[in-house]
Order: sequence, then C-alpha cells, then structure tokens
Amino acid sequence: MKIRTWKRMAGQGFRSLFRNRVMSLASISAIAAALFVLGLVMAVVMNFNNIIAGLESKVEITIFLKTDTHSSDIKRMEQQIQSWEGISEWEYISKDEALETWREEWGDMAYLLDGYNSENNPLPDSFHIKVQKPEFVESVVEKASKFAAVEKVQYSKDVVDSIASIASTTRFFGMIIVVVLIIMAMIIIHNTIRISVYSRRREVNIMKYIGATDWYIRWPFLIEGMALGLIGAAISGGLTAGVYSLLLKRISSSPMQGNLLSQFQLLPLDSILYPIVGLFIMVGSAVGIAASLLSISKHLKV
Amino acid sequence: MIQFINVSKVYDNGLQALNNVNISVESGEFVFIVGASGAGKSTLVKLLLKEIEPTEGKIIVNDVDLSRMKRKEIPFYRRGIGVVFQDFRLLPTKTVYENVAFAMEIVEASRKEIRRQVPAVLGMVGLASKANAYPSQLSGGEQQRTALARALVNNPSILIADEPTGNLDAATAAEIMKIINMINHRGTTVIMATHARDIVNSMKKRVITFRKGIVVSDKEKGEYFCED
Ligand SMILES: Nc1ncnc2c1ncn2[C@@H]1O[C@H](COP(=O)(O)OP(=O)(O)OP(=O)(O)O)[C@@H](O)[C@H]1O
Ligand SMILES: [Mg+2]
Repeated sequence: MKIRTWKRMAGQGFRSLFRNRVMSLASISAIAAALFVLGLVMAVVMNFNNIIAGLESKVEITIFLKTDTHSSDIKRMEQQIQSWEGISEWEYISKDEALETWREEWGDMAYLLDGYNSENNPLPDSFHIKVQKPEFVESVVEKASKFAAVEKVQYSKDVVDSIASIASTTRFFGMIIVVVLIIMAMIIIHNTIRISVYSRRREVNIMKYIGATDWYIRWPFLIEGMALGLIGAAISGGLTAGVYSLLLKRISSSPMQGNLLSQFQLLPLDSILYPIVGLFIMVGSAVGIAASLLSISKHLKV
Repeated sequence: MIQFINVSKVYDNGLQALNNVNISVESGEFVFIVGASGAGKSTLVKLLLKEIEPTEGKIIVNDVDLSRMKRKEIPFYRRGIGVVFQDFRLLPTKTVYENVAFAMEIVEASRKEIRRQVPAVLGMVGLASKANAYPSQLSGGEQQRTALARALVNNPSILIADEPTGNLDAATAAEIMKIINMINHRGTTVIMATHARDIVNSMKKRVITFRKGIVVSDKEKGEYFCED
C-alpha cells in the first residue's frame, strides 16, 4: 500500500481513538497498569540477579561456632584452617568483636544495640574464610562442617540460592498478576475496538460497496489498537522510571548507606529502563494488535 | 455482459426471494427491474454485488462466474460497479467533495488523479457549486447526485441503482433520471430497480417485471405493469 494510504489509515485510527475517548482512556489505563506491574517485577528480578552475580564473584565462607566454645578448641581450629588448601585469607572474629563491628556499621542506628554487652551478646564467634577460587568452596565447607564446635557453615551459595528462590517466587507470582492484568486489558481494548467498529459501521458498509479491500478496512482498527497499547506503554514506562528513581533517591539518602547496603547497590535507572521500556513497547503493541484482531474478526464483517 | 442462469435465492428463513431467474443484459443496455414490494428486486441487486450467494444457478458478469470468484477478488470486482441506493448512504462528516474523493482514496488513486477527476464528475452531475457543502446542507436530489458522482468517479462499466428516486419528488426524480440516462449514453450499463411507474413509462427502455421472485415479463421499450 502507498504511504499516503498508510497516513490516511493512521489518521483514521487516531480519530477513532479520540472519538471514543472514554473507552480509549480505560484501555490505556488497563494496559499501563499491567505493564507497570510487569516493570516492577522485572526491576526486582533484575536487581536480585545483579546481587546474585555480585555474591558469586566474592566467595566467602563463614563458620559460626556454638556458644561457649572453648578457646583451646578455637586455637586448634585456627591451626587446621591454616593448613587447608586454597585459602587466601582467613580471620577469626569473636562475638565481642562482631558486636563492636555492628555498632560501628550501624552508626546512628547503633542505639538499637544498646542493651547488649559481652554478658548477653546474641552473636556467635566466627571464622571468615576467603578462598582463592570458587572451586575450593566445597572442600572447605565439607572440612569445616566436621568440626564439633561448628553451629553452622554459611557461604555465598546459601545466600545466592535463597535470593534466587525469592527472585523466582517474585517472578512467578508477579507474572500471574501480569497475565491477569493483560487479559483484563485485552478485554477492555477488545470492547473499545468493538465500539469503534460499531460507530464506523456506515462508513465500513459504504467502503465495501465501493470496493475497499478487507485489509484497507481492517488496518485503521488495528492501528487504533496498537496506538492504545503504545500509549499505555509510554505511560507505564514513565511511571516505572519515576517510581524507580524515587526509590534510588530514598535509598541513597538512607542512614545505612555505605555499609550494610553497600554491597547491595540498586542497579542504576538506565540499565533497567532500556530493557523494560523495550519490553513494554513489544508487549503493549502486541496486546493492542491481538485484542483488535480478535475484535475485528468477531465484529467487523468485511 | 450480465447473465443470470437459472438463479434461485432462498433466504435462511426459508423464504424464496428469487425463483429460477434467467436474464441476459448486454453491455451498454439500460434495464428497469420492476415489481411489487417483496418481488425480489433488491435481492437481485445484492446477488449482482456478490453481497449474498445464490442458492442455485449461476451469475456471470463480464465473463466471470461470480460463484468461482475468490474472496480477495470481490473488492476489485466491485470497483467495476457503481451503486446508488434510495437512502443515498453518504458520510455525514464529509463534504460533497470528500464523499466523492473517498471512493478514489479507497482504490488508492493518486492525489493528482483525485484533484482532476472529482471536480469533473461533480460537474457532470451538476454539483460543482456544492463541493464544500455537507450532506445535511443538501436537498434530497443533491444528495442523490453526490451518491451518483461517488458511484461514477472510478469509471465503472456497470451502474446499479436500487430505487434511486424513491425518496425524491417527481421533478427531482426526473433530473436524476436525466443524469442516469446520460451516463448510459456514455456506454455504462444501467440496471435500475424501481417502483416509479411514470419514470419507467417515460423512458421507453427494457423492462423486466418480477412477481414473487419470478420473471413474468421482459420487454424492450416496455411499460410498467404491476398488480399492486
Ligand atoms: N436477509 C433476508 N432474510 C430473509 N428474507 C429476506 C431477506 N432480505 C429480503 N428478504 C425477503 O425476500 C423477499 C424479497 O425481498 P427484496 O428486498 O428483494 O424485495 P424488493 O423487490 O426489493 O422489495 P421492495 O420493493 O420493497 O424493496 C421479501 O419477501 C423479503 O422479505
Ligand atoms: Mg428493494
């Protein structure tokens, strides 16, 4: 088809969109809501994945000891640990030191720890071991677990696994909500196009007598559906960007910045926005086109 | 050439609108289709436009069997046929010019062609001065002329008119007939379904009379007769 024809069809589609503004607005809100939730889920999952990647690059093993472990046991363990293969650094941190470190790290919030002293310190004594390569983690964990005084051996794999499972749960439930919202958006867009077909039925009838091809008649409705999807995508893109940058600002101004959260930096806006907006454009136009195709095949007799 | 060969049409509700119709119309002919209300005139028009399918029989237009025509070919077939109806069927939001240009846009005519052809056709039907008026600002006769201009703008070889004067007074109807007659003289085949006895009798053209879906008479230079 000629460019002039496409322009005419686009004009027709947008006029229709404006003529049914109430329905158009409902459609755009529905698709924007669905995409916004999709964006939030993506932002969360992308951040989790980033944290996982960060943790996997730092392989650290923490051995927590049972309370009241005798200092001679600790000495013996120290000697053995030194002899293990693949250890790059190790450190013993007593529970008193641990409490002290927490006090420092928490800064302004340290008053929360005020009730604790060496008598009732809830923290355990611990060894912190860094290995030269991730391959050594397993053998170190295995050997450490054999110590009688060990309460728990924690290493990044645990954290990675639990973050990964939170991420996949988020993705799973998030996607269910997204699918439900997309179905709702499709129903609303479907109805919008139906009304638009109805309000242009005279014109469509005349077009058929004059000899318009089926696609000449259909395209303006498809363009209208696609425009609804794309406007929805633009709005949800803006919304996602706004909410995310607000979150970034909140977190960077929080008192715990620089210590506790320092290794869990949120991804910068750019790096999440491009993939998300790309997906919005694809999903938005696909939903709009699919809904109008369904509506046209049901309501537009060409 | 248009041929109806043993054509019958039974609607879904079981009503037989046409019964074994055999008609042959040469290119350039002018044919009136007459008959009482419900005789099957509009059914014949719809069959010719391939809006509905015959239950039995064959319709052949310019050597093409309509039942063999692919769905995709229908729009292109219709471009060769101009149609006007009793109720004009103009778009109320478009001017006279735009209503006519619309028919050319649909067949993707160039802007240049549209600018040349639309005023020419409007001139032919005597509406040059009303090009920028909206249908609501026009008389019935002017609206029908606009519809005629739209039907003719793509130079169809056949003009089908289903009671084109049904909503018009006698004087206006006569003017419309003058235009249709002129179009016929330029070589376009005209098929016109009508109730209008005076028009039929004054034109001295071929008249095919239907009664309850059956062709009861087919006469050159015929007269309107109908026991309604
Ligand atoms: N879609 C349809 N379904 C069922 N019956 C129909 C349909 N269209 C027309 N009919 C019936 O078929 C018969 C012929 O109708 P048609 O419209 O062809 O008559 P007509 O000669 O054009 O009448 P009029 O002069 O009133 O326009 C009528 O009895 C009508 O009720
Ligand atoms: Mg009729």
